[in-house]
Amino acid sequence: MELPFLNTWEKGDSIVNTANSVISGQLSKKSLKSLMGWGGVMIWDRNIDPVDMLYAYLMRVASESCGECTPCRLGTVRLCMVMERIVGGKGRKSDLKLIKNLVSHISATGKCDIGRTISKPVLDILDAYEETFIEVIEKKRQVKKGEYAHVITAPCINACPSHLDIPGYIENIRMGNWEKAMEIVRKDCPMPGTIGRVCVRPCESACRRGLLDEPISIRALKRFLADCEMNGVIKTESPPQGVQKQKVAVIGAGPAGISCAYYLARRGYPCTIFEAQEGPGGMAAYGIPSYRLPRNVIAHEVNVLEKLGVEIRYGVNVGKDITMEEIASRGYESVFVGVGAPDSSKMRCEGEDAGYRCFLTGVHFLSESARGRKPAEGKKLVVIGGGNVAMDCVRTARRLGFEDVNLLYRRTEAEMPADPQEIREAKEEGIKFHHLVAPVEILAENDTVAGIKCLRMELGEPDSSGRRRPVPVEGSEFVIECDVIIPAIGQVCVVDCVLPEEDVLTSWKTLIVDQTTFQSDRQQIFGGGDCVTGPQTLIGALAAGKNAARFISQYLQQGGCKPELSDLILSLASAEGVYDPGESFPYPGITEREEPSVLEPEIRVNGFDEVESCLTPSRARVESDRCLRCYRLLMSAI
Amino acid sequence: MPELEINNRVVSFKKGQTILEVAEKNGINIPTLCYLAGAAPTGRCRICLVQVEGSDRLLTACDTPAGEGMKILTDSPTVRNARKTNIEMLIASGAHNCLIMDQSSKNWTENQSKIMGQPWHNIMCPSYGDCRLQDLAIEYGVRADDLELNYEGHPLDDATPMIVRDFSRCIGCGRCIQACNEIQVNRAIPEPYGPRKDHSQGWYPLVDYDYCTHCGQCVQVCPTGALFEKKAFGKAAANEIKKVRTTCPYCGVGCQLWLHVKDNKIIRVSGVENAEPNHGRLCVKGRFGYDFIHSGERLTSPLIREKDGFREASWDEALDLVANRFKDIIKKHGPDAVAGVSCARSINEDSYQMQKLFRSVFGTNNIDHCART
Repeated sequence: MELPFLNTWEKGDSIVNTANSVISGQLSKKSLKSLMGWGGVMIWDRNIDPVDMLYAYLMRVASESCGECTPCRLGTVRLCMVMERIVGGKGRKSDLKLIKNLVSHISATGKCDIGRTISKPVLDILDAYEETFIEVIEKKRQVKKGEYAHVITAPCINACPSHLDIPGYIENIRMGNWEKAMEIVRKDCPMPGTIGRVCVRPCESACRRGLLDEPISIRALKRFLADCEMNGVIKTESPPQGVQKQKVAVIGAGPAGISCAYYLARRGYPCTIFEAQEGPGGMAAYGIPSYRLPRNVIAHEVNVLEKLGVEIRYGVNVGKDITMEEIASRGYESVFVGVGAPDSSKMRCEGEDAGYRCFLTGVHFLSESARGRKPAEGKKLVVIGGGNVAMDCVRTARRLGFEDVNLLYRRTEAEMPADPQEIREAKEEGIKFHHLVAPVEILAENDTVAGIKCLRMELGEPDSSGRRRPVPVEGSEFVIECDVIIPAIGQVCVVDCVLPEEDVLTSWKTLIVDQTTFQSDRQQIFGGGDCVTGPQTLIGALAAGKNAARFISQYLQQGGCKPELSDLILSLASAEGVYDPGESFPYPGITEREEPSVLEPEIRVNGFDEVESCLTPSRARVESDRCLRCYRLLMSAI
Repeated sequence: MPELEINNRVVSFKKGQTILEVAEKNGINIPTLCYLAGAAPTGRCRICLVQVEGSDRLLTACDTPAGEGMKILTDSPTVRNARKTNIEMLIASGAHNCLIMDQSSKNWTENQSKIMGQPWHNIMCPSYGDCRLQDLAIEYGVRADDLELNYEGHPLDDATPMIVRDFSRCIGCGRCIQACNEIQVNRAIPEPYGPRKDHSQGWYPLVDYDYCTHCGQCVQVCPTGALFEKKAFGKAAANEIKKVRTTCPYCGVGCQLWLHVKDNKIIRVSGVENAEPNHGRLCVKGRFGYDFIHSGERLTSPLIREKDGFREASWDEALDLVANRFKDIIKKHGPDAVAGVSCARSINEDSYQMQKLFRSVFGTNNIDHCART
């Protein structure tokens, strides 16, 4: 894709680069004709009438104005009135100055970013095309009508893989419209109770309020809504829109599968989920302990799904009990593969494949515990790893009665991928952390774990992940005697069990799909979640399921999948980076974030009661009032 | 204590104070419109804008925290222009015809007849002369002739007995919403905001009458003539009103009232701001329950019941009769055989005398008042 002939966007070059990498064969390179948003204006297509484009842009700005502040509420309408008379041949000479003054006024005095971000693109286009505007006003030239698409984003929306309208639901919590808020959440997140408890919350790291004082407790606010729904305080039933005939099979009742089935069902498609386990939730249910995510939350979410007409068949192992061909022959016209990354990575450590008793993987340990069983006996337990699964393992072990629970990690706490809150809470529960230690050999007596031989490490140069690489310290070998060893250093995919065709899989046994449409080389097969990306976030899996549902529907209706322009605009918004970590505010931040209260460590280690509680309505209201409503609009000509 | 500069004057402040609070404390006036004492500032109207050095945006004084070393201008040409633009847009968006004389004769008749043709607009605006928007328009030299008026299709709610909600004069400041939700906590006016695409009808502060107690607090805080009292409509212009302060007789709280009086008649009642115990709040009785004062059905002479009816009597005859009967009863059964209940609609001084009569003269504590709640 060539450079635009008009570019006032500071990061225009990186936008062009992204456009080039995102635009696949399915989306023509000519489909992006222009871009107008908070950073400026870019135009590729000379046929675009700037007067028409400005009118379209201002109409969209006006339709997003929320009515709270005077300049945006009234100014945007006035701008549209002025543009209407210009394109209607009744423009006045003074109108250009009026528009410039008004947009500058709205940007200088508006309350939120809808108004505050409009002056740059509008002034840029007026400067670049002043003669065209004067021509339209003076000669009453007919304006060429074009078509435009737009997306509304925000730093938090952009950071969220599923692009939840976070300012939208927060605003509705503030106004007391909890049902409307929940409707907004459910538009992009079918497991709000789960996400409201265990999301890694990339949104909060991109919250502009965090640059001022502390980020909004977005996750806690979502949980507040989810709990309101679960407890019957609000009712949010969205019956399917329309009725479709084509049946879709979903493999795996984990987050990706649930999400795909939910959004297909909302579109009216009959869906069947095939699940190998005896219950729903996948990794969310069998990998996340109930003190973080109580089982009734998933049960409620699945209940909503089943009310939409989705059928879930448990204990069906696709690949063994039924093949993909048999599924197709039973009338399922499309299949979504969401089988996750259920197997554990190897530590490359001596003795790990010897089958010793009391040596078990983190995934196995957590799933057994989730089923109410104690998978190993002993006093001293060692977990290896630094991620959230490792944290879940040590904290679960503590609750199962292990007296001496240890965590080995080969780097330092600063490099740990686990949520800092998880690390903090694990420490409070008396877990012993051993940093810069790597396992070398599992020691056993009578085929039962007796200890672990380790090496001390030190940090060397940064590796490809940007974290400093651990390097062994020679001659530092030592042994930790213990009864149970649990490696939790990562998970791997086994899509080949379901789909043996090697040409659609990578060498890591992940499914290859188009990054926008989630369609595989077998056009009726789609896939998303961990089985495509490798172990990733829960919200990422939900996003994949949601987006795949849209393209499965497109495939079933139109016979093919074509990304929409809004998909492209969204990717461009991501590339532009809506969040600017260098931003500073001309006033001090003095508000404090509302944190949900947590059970005291000495109480919570005694069982699997939920650690974190829900915000009260009044605290949720106070928290929602801190949102800066950083909405931005990005528009492109079609 | 941290310091900042307002209009080149160094002043100190406490952490957590807003720019508006710091300015007020130091006698520096910043005009406000939507700001409502006692409620959380919302920054909606954008009238209290100030200029802060280093910021390319103007900040609202009401909800921006004061910061160490800030250099603030509260009355610079930039600030005054921005305020004026907002006032102009507010006036252009509604049926504000008080500045009509300011318009050229070309538009005069058309605009005036358009506005006056609407219900409740046949006479001058009920808040003429007592209107925050009008004050600001005059202070900032807003000329109606410069405006493109665009008021169309505003809802009108005049179905309840006491209050008219004429949204053609609503400027969307949200004070009524805050008065209802945060001051009175009736929660009868939900916040109407959200993207215009979902609010094609506009963002009017419509009332949910399931919750409304008709206390009229919303009317009291409305800065324009959008909310007004039906009973007072057309009764008096602001400059004809004399305000008399008194204590509400209806209950034991002792709310402080302003009686708005013209020709010795109460035109309407409002709460006294900044005064104990009610801080401007009133209930439906205190604000609206004064019709009986000038009621034609009030007794003008004593009546004595005889057989099936009443007959008029002189004060001497009536008082003699009552006094003698009380004396008889007390003599026969003792003072505790009588009891008195004083009426809240009598004046406070009368109620005081009533208990004095029962306690000191009759010798009983059997005295009560219907406001003992």
